[in-house]
Amino acid sequence: MKLEIINVTKSFKEKIVVNNFSLELKSGECVGLIGPNGAGKSTLIKMISDIIDPNAGEVLLNGKKISKMKREIGYLPQYPNFFYWMTARETLMFMGQLSGVKKEVLTNSITEILTKVGLKAEENSKVGTFSGGMKQRLGIAQALLHKPSLIVMDEPVSALDPIGRREVLSLIEEIKKDTTILLSTHILSDAEEICERFVIMKDGTKIEDTKITDLLNRNSENKLIVEITAKDRKWVDTIKKLPYVEDIEVVGLKVKVKVESIEENKALLLQNALEHKVDIVKFEINNDNLEEIFLKLVVQK
Amino acid sequence: MKNLIVLIKKEYVQMLRDFKVIWLPIVFIFLGATQPILTHYLPAILKALGGSQGITIDPSMTAQKGGEVLASTLGSQFDQLGLMVLAISMMGVIQTDKANGMLAFILTRPVAVPSYIGGKMVSHYLIAAFSVTIGYFTSYLYVNYLFTAVPFSQMITGLIFYLIWTLFIVSFTTMTSAIFQSQGIIALISIVFLIGCRVIVGLNPIVDQLNPASMSKHAMEKLMTGLVDSNAVGNLLLTFVWILLTLFITNYWISNKKFSHE
Repeated sequence: MKLEIINVTKSFKEKIVVNNFSLELKSGECVGLIGPNGAGKSTLIKMISDIIDPNAGEVLLNGKKISKMKREIGYLPQYPNFFYWMTARETLMFMGQLSGVKKEVLTNSITEILTKVGLKAEENSKVGTFSGGMKQRLGIAQALLHKPSLIVMDEPVSALDPIGRREVLSLIEEIKKDTTILLSTHILSDAEEICERFVIMKDGTKIEDTKITDLLNRNSENKLIVEITAKDRKWVDTIKKLPYVEDIEVVGLKVKVKVESIEENKALLLQNALEHKVDIVKFEINNDNLEEIFLKLVVQK
Repeated sequence: MKNLIVLIKKEYVQMLRDFKVIWLPIVFIFLGATQPILTHYLPAILKALGGSQGITIDPSMTAQKGGEVLASTLGSQFDQLGLMVLAISMMGVIQTDKANGMLAFILTRPVAVPSYIGGKMVSHYLIAAFSVTIGYFTSYLYVNYLFTAVPFSQMITGLIFYLIWTLFIVSFTTMTSAIFQSQGIIALISIVFLIGCRVIVGLNPIVDQLNPASMSKHAMEKLMTGLVDSNAVGNLLLTFVWILLTLFITNYWISNKKFSHE
């Protein structure tokens, strides 16, 4: 499985929504597409799932045009809408058969998948009676049903309450093991939780494509934060003399230690603290969290 | 092909749950029964209610032939109220799928656009044809009972002509449903255009030849005179051309994703 998005551009009337966007996805990856509202995430996702055609560029799956490879894609729309008069089981049967899965196979796999998404008890209820979270879970079920090699999800959790969000996130966490996932969101903590790789979009262009650890490391300032108890204040004077410590800043009981290199020096500092029998409350690498980095990237650039 | 069957089946389940399979035939049964009953009892009704002052009843009214009454069922009931009911019952055929995103959703599956349109056309035409046929048979039974008998072969030929006109009604409404966004506009355009076609029949022989609504006129002529106009074959072929054209436009519209206005 390999998804290639090559120089895709889409404009509506005069407004360019996605501008010369390229991206490559390999098998087994979980990629989070993040960006502010109106960045073009949904448009891009719709082009990947062949709902709208790009003005220029192309989307290829395994080297073939996406319109020929629909069997390999599972798509979850932002607001999944089903026929209100169908039951959950009928909906899955309908969508599954349209994807070319045999009826006999579906009978078993639907039971399995409804159990997985926690809708087994509701399999014969009409979709019209479902809550937003249940529709979302049914949406995930239909996206998974035909065992696609790529699952594309447009804001899978944004419209849900905290409980529904938790449910859907853990569900995605589970399916991540078997398939490649591309999901868009503007809630960073969600993306941070499930995806390893991030693509940050703004005004239709890609401004960042990176692994989360790289992103965090790149934006850290080689500072370690050690929170200690009041009785160990004098330890601060000891570490001031250490060769690799460049600067020290004390805020209450937090000691911010700037070192030459985090990788090499963090263990040494910790060892030093232990040797001096320092009562450590917290020992961490000073990172901007993802939200701060995101704001920095999106607002500044 | 398999997708087509799945989609047709889905349409029927939907029609069953919306009770369309029940109410649409009932509407046409009423329409079919209205004409012969009204024609037969109108003089009696007028006499009873109007006190007969100043009203003269044309004796030829009550002496109409069966074929004429059956023909006026088509011309006065089916082509007016019946046509409106058909257009209104089908105005959402593609529009609702567009509006709630199901069309885009279905097309993310390996479903060919012709399968989707085929599913809609086959299912909705069959229910429309069934309703028209059952209404027409009702009218036929009343006509045979209250007026002179209509020969069976004439009745069937008339029905076949009329069902081809019905096919145009269905395909045209499906096309407007694919193109326009609002149900009101779809119903308005379909009804105005289709009734307009029906109204201009008989004004000009060349226009008649091109007009799909002439199929309805051929049906009526067959019932009244027992003869088929020699132009009927050419008109029949042209009607099929129009039907194919509407299907082609529907297919073009959906394939090129002109339905998503986001």
